[in-house]
Amino acid sequence: MQQLSNLCKAPLFPAEAIRLSNGLTLIHQYLPATPVVAVDVWVQAGANAEPQDWHGMAHFLEHMIFKGSEAVGPGEFDAIIETSGGGTNAATSHDYAHFFITTAAAYLPQTLPYFADILLHAAIPDEEFGREMDVVIEEIHGCHDDPDWLGFQALCETIYGQSPYGRSILGTADQVRQRSPNQMRCFHRTHYQPENMTVVVVGGMEREGAIALVSEAFCHFAVRSECPPIITHSKPQLTEITRTELRLPRLEQARLMLAWTGPGVDLMDVGIGLDMLSVILAGGRSSRLVRDLREEQQQVWDIGCEFSLQKTASLLTINAWLEADALPMVEAALQNHLTRLQRELITPAELNRVQRLLCNDYAFSTETPAQLAGLYGYYNTIAQAELAVTYPTRVKQMTPEILRQIAQDYLTPDCYAVTVMRSL
Amino acid sequence: MSAQPISLNRLENGITVITVDHQAADLIAARCFFRAGGRWEAPHQVGISHLLAMVMTKGTQSLSSAVIADRVESMGANLGTDATADYFTLGLKTVTADFAEILHLAGEILRSPSFPAAEVQLEQQLTLQNIRAQSERPFSVAFQQLRQAMYGDHPYGFSILGTPETLSSLTEADLHAYHHRYFRPDNLVISLSGRIDPDRAIAQITAVFGDWAIPDAPLPIAPPLPSLPPPSTHTIHQATQQAIVMVGYSAPAVHNLPDYIALKVINTYLGSGLSSRLFVELREKRGLAYDVSAFYPTRFSDSQFVAYIGTAPENAQVGFDGLVAEVERLCKVPLTATELQASKNKLLGQYALGKQTNADLAQLFGWYTIIDLGIEFDHQFQAAVNQITADQLQAAAQRYFQTPYITIVGPEPAREPLAL
Repeated sequence: MQQLSNLCKAPLFPAEAIRLSNGLTLIHQYLPATPVVAVDVWVQAGANAEPQDWHGMAHFLEHMIFKGSEAVGPGEFDAIIETSGGGTNAATSHDYAHFFITTAAAYLPQTLPYFADILLHAAIPDEEFGREMDVVIEEIHGCHDDPDWLGFQALCETIYGQSPYGRSILGTADQVRQRSPNQMRCFHRTHYQPENMTVVVVGGMEREGAIALVSEAFCHFAVRSECPPIITHSKPQLTEITRTELRLPRLEQARLMLAWTGPGVDLMDVGIGLDMLSVILAGGRSSRLVRDLREEQQQVWDIGCEFSLQKTASLLTINAWLEADALPMVEAALQNHLTRLQRELITPAELNRVQRLLCNDYAFSTETPAQLAGLYGYYNTIAQAELAVTYPTRVKQMTPEILRQIAQDYLTPDCYAVTVMRSL
Repeated sequence: MSAQPISLNRLENGITVITVDHQAADLIAARCFFRAGGRWEAPHQVGISHLLAMVMTKGTQSLSSAVIADRVESMGANLGTDATADYFTLGLKTVTADFAEILHLAGEILRSPSFPAAEVQLEQQLTLQNIRAQSERPFSVAFQQLRQAMYGDHPYGFSILGTPETLSSLTEADLHAYHHRYFRPDNLVISLSGRIDPDRAIAQITAVFGDWAIPDAPLPIAPPLPSLPPPSTHTIHQATQQAIVMVGYSAPAVHNLPDYIALKVINTYLGSGLSSRLFVELREKRGLAYDVSAFYPTRFSDSQFVAYIGTAPENAQVGFDGLVAEVERLCKVPLTATELQASKNKLLGQYALGKQTNADLAQLFGWYTIIDLGIEFDHQFQAAVNQITADQLQAAAQRYFQTPYITIVGPEPAREPLAL
């Protein structure tokens, strides 16, 4: 694909990335109009950092962080944040684990040291470990009662195989039962180190105050440990349509889920092109698939297309909810739509629509300190924070020719992973 | 969430306009609220408000469904309609420059929808399917059962989607009649937040809605509400990995302010966040569940207080005992001063964090107005939370936490049934 012209018109990065002396990255943006501060700590310690046979570790550790440190008891941090009117939570994916708080700026000097301490010095007490294992297993059981979750897992396994992004972040119940507190401490001390972490502070706190607070709180890291090496399997090269079929009880509508992988964030413009193609296909009522299959032919109950930009292998999925009888016809129709994207240029009206939708969505989803902190942290974890704000410019630079090229290279109508779900 | 200037105006034709002048971002969010929705539906027409919301954007006297979608999406705007138990709303969000044009389109959708027969049929089919799909998730199955047990024929007892029977019977004529009855300027509140000052907002709203005349018919009155059924217990067997246990108690409407505030604080204490009582006692200390919480929706009329847990089927009894013990403990044991203050801080802090975006602000003030609380409720709520005492909480707990309605969804037990 041709290279895009340089991003000379890209907006300046409104935040500042600061490397502290211990190697920790702080990203800060002052928003004088708000009394709220969001602090979002991103760690390059997602499921893809798990050694062979340590499945479920990254997510289980995310739970155990809240069980405290030597100095902070189990649940004590939650209580401190919440009783001062703030909120906290965390999430784990393949590329990251992240932990965030939102609080009135005035409380941050009191609360941040607790937050840093549980992150840097997680105690992972043995008796808490066993109890929390039951909680994680309940979380897994709850997911297994969700047909869309099951379908998505099957689809990821089909397209990614044993490679990163192929397995469930949660792990299976059996895998979780095999984890041990010592193993988890090793994983924590290997990965929760300054060069793997980004602390994002956005909101009503000025630069000097933020640097002082973060430098002080995120100062002493745990003694380093070393996990067994990560064995990375390569992604299976699909050469044809690769099918998985699930039959479930209590399924009221069939599912048809198709997936293609794209490059990682190193080819960000390809990712942005795939993001735009997903909107052309199924973003809104005037998109191709919604108009054709839901509104006109009425062959699906609903249809959507999702793109997620990941560090090394992005994912585009098309998901349809439909009657089982319609499965072959709808899959054939999807193939036709993809063939059309490969052969014909999208219209100027479609290009305008997708550019405005995505640029406005970007503006609509960067209103709050927490949204901004999440955006910067995510990009800094998979690449660099500065890339986050180039998104609208890159979207505007895309042309129908480049989009057709990306469709030809990645959205092959005769080579994809597909999961079909039907009722038992 | 710092205090933005807010202004309230009433146009000559009765439209209430609320403007939050919030210059931070180059966008405007708007919500147009009507006094309509589930609470106003006749029993044989349950689901009509939702169906109307589904078809309203699918045709006007002069525009087709495709043209409407294209206009909105080609500007990169958001526009959608929705019905809830207490109100009907059209929401939109645009960059500031596009606001006038999208508001004009919203005006046409609200004033002269055409309900094309083919679109009505399509959305009826999609909604019927949506109703069926609700039974795929154990939580939805449990909640539907609990709601029906608690409310009987009260409109809050039905899903906003309606029932297969009522939905199938609805016609275009029914939609036109509903629209004619409820969609009138003196039944409308328009709430805006964003880069717009009140004068400009009023000028733009007047340009779109100013010539909408109040009809001769008096404003419709919501049908009288039936009394609630007595507590009952229901078990639904499904081959699921988890059991869902829910207990519900009838709870006060928002207009019963002292009790409403008491239950909001109690709900925060029991079910809100990682430091809530249910989370700490049943998840953190006993490892019984991933999802254990409580909710108490703000309702114009009779609300419900619900506590629930998703747990291993063999722990269903323990989970049930734990939920009831924690809820009913509040009848006997008052909150300590520390617990009370912590719960107040938490509730007020979350309330403030819920007012950060323009869409949050437009929604909150419009909603307070449409359910007859007024924009002052923003301050009244916070003041009342600050003033409430532990004795008042305990008295409210004693009044409302008597006998629970119970629903359990899970696999057939291998051994004896639950001792409730």
